[in-house]
Amino acid sequence: MNITTRMQRDVTVVALAGNLDSNTSPQAQQALDGILANGGKKMVVDFTALGYISSAGLRVLLATAKRLTGAGGALRLFGLNETVREVFDISGFSAILSVFATEAEALRGL
Amino acid sequence: MRPRFRMTIGADRGEVGGVTAAFARFADAHAVPDAIRRSICVVLDELLHNAVAYGFAGRAGGEVSVDAELRSDRLCVTLTDDGQPFDPLGMAAPDTALPVEARRIGGLGIHLVRQMMDDVSYRRREGRNVVTLEKRLPGGTTAGPSEEDA
Repeated sequence: MNITTRMQRDVTVVALAGNLDSNTSPQAQQALDGILANGGKKMVVDFTALGYISSAGLRVLLATAKRLTGAGGALRLFGLNETVREVFDISGFSAILSVFATEAEALRGL
Repeated sequence: MRPRFRMTIGADRGEVGGVTAAFARFADAHAVPDAIRRSICVVLDELLHNAVAYGFAGRAGGEVSVDAELRSDRLCVTLTDDGQPFDPLGMAAPDTALPVEARRIGGLGIHLVRQMMDDVSYRRREGRNVVTLEKRLPGGTTAGPSEEDA
């Protein structure tokens, strides 16, 4: 998995390329933990190049969302493909995480 | 001959990623639609990770096999392991309506497996867990010439 980050004003935009599963989730968790440790409170995750996500990846997102929300921050996602969307719908994550179609929409009002 | 994918790994979490990657190459080589390939990869990750992470607690060795067969109208996948008896269909579905603060992840992987596949069954046979999965292919024959099936 390739993880790239950039700043957009005070928002950290994290692009995940590859698959977020039991194999790659430790690496993703470490990257997101690093952003949190550096004081990042607003995070937008770009799923455009993400193939699929399994429950191990959902666990990473949930842990990050809880920590950001607890710190008065926010986690937003955009660019979900059909499979990722299906996993979000089945797991109920569509209702508990903020999902947007595009980066511009995800950044709006953040 | 129907296209067939077979792979066996040891009880090692580090090997799960190799199976999903190899299955993805098999699926691409046989023009399996992206969404189907990804769904199977999610399910393989869930079940293989479960098997190697929990099925062999307290013992060395252990083996998990994947056998997938591409038919003209469906993908049939069989996972076999010689770990301790575990029926994934015996687990209760998680509450997916709770708010973010209250959510727990336990059982979610198996919930995904059941929802994303068209058919899931389990049996314990000759000291092994055998999970069979079926996923229908959209429109039937995307799997190459059907006369090969005869």
